[in-house]
Parts: sequence; C-alpha cells; structure tokens
Amino acid sequence: MLKNKKIEMTEFNSIRKEVLTAWPTGKDVRLEDAFRYQRAIPAAKNFAVAMKNALDRGQILLQPRAGVALVDEHIKLLKHLETEGEADLLPTTIDAYTRQNRYEEAARGIEKSIAAGASLLNGFPAVNHGVPGCRTVVEAVSKPIQVRHGTPDARLLAEITLAAGFTSFEGGGISYNIPYAKKVPLEQSIRDWQYADRLVGLYEENGIRINREPFGPLTGTLVPPFISHTIGIIEGLLALEQGVRSITLGYGQAGNILQDIAAITSLRELAHDYFRAAGHSDYELTIVFHQWMGGFPEDEAKAFSVIGWGSVVAAFAKPEKIIVKTPHEAMGIPTRAANAQGLKATRQIISMLTDQRLFDALSIRQEVDVIKHEVKNLMDKVLELGRGDVAAGTVAAFQAGVLDVPFAPSIYNAGKVMPVRDNEGFLRIFQKGNLPLDNEILAWHRSKLLDRARAEGREISFQMVTDDIYAISKGKLIGRPK
Amino acid sequence: MQNPTIVLGVIGADCHSVGNKILEIFFSGEGFKVVNLGVMVSQSEFIDAAIETSASAILVSSLYGHGEIDCQGLRDRCIEKGLDSILLYVGGNLVVGKTPFDEVEEKFKEMGFDRVFPPDADLKQVAAFLQAEVQP
Repeated sequence: MLKNKKIEMTEFNSIRKEVLTAWPTGKDVRLEDAFRYQRAIPAAKNFAVAMKNALDRGQILLQPRAGVALVDEHIKLLKHLETEGEADLLPTTIDAYTRQNRYEEAARGIEKSIAAGASLLNGFPAVNHGVPGCRTVVEAVSKPIQVRHGTPDARLLAEITLAAGFTSFEGGGISYNIPYAKKVPLEQSIRDWQYADRLVGLYEENGIRINREPFGPLTGTLVPPFISHTIGIIEGLLALEQGVRSITLGYGQAGNILQDIAAITSLRELAHDYFRAAGHSDYELTIVFHQWMGGFPEDEAKAFSVIGWGSVVAAFAKPEKIIVKTPHEAMGIPTRAANAQGLKATRQIISMLTDQRLFDALSIRQEVDVIKHEVKNLMDKVLELGRGDVAAGTVAAFQAGVLDVPFAPSIYNAGKVMPVRDNEGFLRIFQKGNLPLDNEILAWHRSKLLDRARAEGREISFQMVTDDIYAISKGKLIGRPK
Repeated sequence: MQNPTIVLGVIGADCHSVGNKILEIFFSGEGFKVVNLGVMVSQSEFIDAAIETSASAILVSSLYGHGEIDCQGLRDRCIEKGLDSILLYVGGNLVVGKTPFDEVEEKFKEMGFDRVFPPDADLKQVAAFLQAEVQP
C-alpha cells in the first residue's frame, strides 16, 4: 500500500541492489565515494546554495535546456552557454530513450551519433556514459549543474548523476509520469520517485544539500495554475517526507501577465502553507518560472518576442529562476548559438525591468485568492480520498479524475478537463471533468467564458480550445475567429 | 464509399500528446475512421493495428528529434507483413536540429514515406491528400 512515509533503510537497500543492476554502469556507484566526491565540490558550484542565495538577494537566475549524445560535444555545448550565453545555472537534458529506461537504444544512438559526426539523440544519455563520463562533464564547467529530463523511473539516473556530482535533480512521481508516459501506473512512479527523494535525503543526512525541482508546466499546454500548483505542492510534500530540504516548485507561463504573476505569488504562499501544515519547517523553498512551453512561432524574430514576454513576466513576478527558450523552439532541438541567443534576449529584458514594480496590486490579489480557493478545493478532496495520506490520495484522485492534467498522454490520467482562455487571455475551465471545484468558482469561470463568447460572436466550443493551442505560434495569445 | 480507416500515433519513445489529440479530433471530424494508438508507439504496433483494422494509411508523428532513427525500416516491415500498398505519411519535427525541410522530405521519402509534412502543415491539405490517395 502506497503511503507518504519515509522509506526504511533496509527496504531502500534491497531496492537499491536491483536498481544498480539495471544497466552495467550502475556497478560504479558507491555511496561513500559519491559523498566524498560531492563534499569536495565548491559551494559556488552547488545548485541548492545558488537557489538559496538568489532567494536571499532577490535575484532571478537564468537557466537554458541543453543536451547532446556525446560527452565532448555536450561539454562544448555547456561551455558555450556558460561563456557566450552567460547562463547562471547549467542543465544536462537527458535524451528520450534514457527517460524510458531504454538504455540499449540509447547505446545505439551513441554509436550512430559517433558515425554521423552529429547528435542523433535529443539529449545526453547519462546512464550509458556512467559515473566517469558524467564527472567529466561536471568537472569541465564552473556553474552549478542540474539533471533535467522526464523520466517516470529515474532511480538509476539519480544514482549515477548524483554520484557524479550533479547538485540538482528535476522531476517527480506525478509530473514526470502523467505528461511523459503512457502506461506507467501512478503508484509505481510515485514509489520510484520516493526512492529518488530518499536518495537525495541520504545525501542531505551526509552533509550534502541537493536541490529538487518538481516539473511545474506538466503538458505545457493551457494548464490552469491551480492544477499544476496542486500537483507541485503534493510533490513537494512527498519530497520533504523523504528528507529533501531544498525544493524549487515550478510554474509554466500561461500568457496573461496578471494571472501569471498571481500564479507565482500564490504558488509560493500556498506551498509554505501546506508544508507548514504538514509539520515541516526546516526547508528552503524557491520558485522557477518557465517561459512559454506551448507551440512557438517558426520565425525567429517572432520567437524572440515570445521569449521576451516570458522574461517580462519573470521580471515582475520575481521567481528565483527562469528557464529560457530558444528561437529554434518551433523547429526542435536548437543549435548552441540559438540557445545562447535565448539567454541573451532574456537577460536584456530582466536587466531592463529590474527596478520596476507592477500596476494594480488589488487585481493581482483577487486572482491570487481565486487560485488559492481552487487549490484548496482540490487538496481537500485529495486528502479526503487518501484519508489524510497525500500519496494514497493522489493515486485515488487521478483515478477519480479529481486530479486531471489537460492533454496528458498517460492512460492513468482521466483527460476530461478542457481548459480555454477567457476574453483577457486568463486560463479558465471549459469542461471541468471531475474536478472538485465548487459551484461558486465554476459559475465564475462560466461567466468569464461567456464574456469571450459574446465578444467573438460564437458559442463556447472546442474550436476555441484548438484555436488557443495554436494562437501563440500564429502571433496571438487568444485564438480568435478570423 | 465507406469511410477510410487511418492509423494514427506518435512513434518511438516520444510522448508529445497535444498534437496527437488534435489530429484525432480533426480527422474524425473529416469523416475518417481514426484508430489512434496515442503516444510511444512501436513500428510493430502501427503495423498490427493497420492489419487488424484493414487501414488504408498509417500517419506517423514525431516531435522529439529521434524520428530518423525510429522510422527506419518501417516500409520494409509493412511489405514483409503484406501491407504492400498501404499509404505512409509522416510529420512533425523529424530530425535533431534545424534542417531545411527539402532535405528532411527527401530523407524520409527515401525511407519509403509517401508524404512528409512539416510541423505547421495545413491539416485540411493533409486530409485532401489522404482522400485522393487512399485505395478504395
């Protein structure tokens, strides 16, 4: 029976034996050696320290996404982002085969990439490169470095990359399953992520603080803030229970600046409320904002505008970190030059807006209250279904459609919720599916959509949803009829 | 004429699900019988579904850059399984990195695909090609 309870060491060790034999490189992982190696990493290269400093100093750190198949090429890419792109934090984005634990296919991808003289994988296959290959990467760069992926079972990946000196690990049992997999049962992915969190807890207990970052944007497509907030808070609670102390919760830009600022403000406040209510006080909470995660315009100049708009929101909402997109977003994996351009465009706007404060605090406060009300509707039901246990409640809630991520591929997600923008571009609920939103909130969503329907002279319909999904790549936020 | 059956899916280890859901709703609306296999579909799952449903076309999507690796050999496997004349369409972000579309199209046509589409393909146009090219 799944429970939100710290994994016992005897159980952890018996699972661990299996985890480390899933691929030959697992045998190189020895915890004592890993702790020694991590302790020797200077504080300036520790991700958790960097996030805490940003919080204390009110800074926004910039981080790109990047990863290619081969170690040397990956180092060249990261160094370019560090020097030319002036990234504050570095990523190592993992390829899609590794994310599904298909290490043999990743191995073929490495061979083919060597033969082709170019990366045929969409990321860095860290498990195949093993501890020595990963350490070569960590040692070649001077900024803190994080593993970014989308892996439902990331236990071996966590073992290898943390032993290799990575100091932050993205993901979670819900956010790296429901939007990233098709047939992985939620109980299984939550259990496997409890293991990853316990591993991070072990490092913590040995004096090494590793940052953990649940993946906020989920499908990156019209996800209303209250849905992603509820899931982020649950993943935070699950991580804290396993001994994680540095947590960065995420949110993906939705498009209306007021809703986005309210979302970042409410995420921080809600997370503290729920963490404290669960009895946690010894933790560091920071917030990451993702520039637009939906479809991008193909035209690079237009793509820069989308990047810029996200940067404006960040400058006003003040997260500790922003994840930066590139002008090649619509075309797939960017070149390293394009990746550095995304960083520069973002830096320019954030620097320009550093000292500005935004309009109308009251409207933001109202939107904050709405989001908090919605999250409370969901969290109350999750805890009720789990009889107080958030892990068991999450599984039951997904089964019942009480938690439901729009457009997610997983068969364990109900997929009944349909979001749509209102007349000002705020994300609202078109079809609520089984979300336990109360009548007051639902009536309010409905009235917002009626405003849009009237303005566009058409009924509220699924066509609006499709129009909204493609709107940004066509230059608009709201998908209006032609 | 009966509504033609098409098999739809995202190939390989790719879990991009948004476009897949839109394609399903769109092609159903255009009168096709859509068998949607969803995301992370292997070559043999595409072929088995096409045989089971007597489909006239397989529409392969790939967004994550591994399309080149994932699609190799699909045409040969179709022929091996007796699907000699099945239409193969492919679309999305098919290779790693920004590559001129002509090169991508040529590469995938050599691999045996009948039509190759960029990520911003006009769906009405795709539906028109399909209507014209499916064997009755």
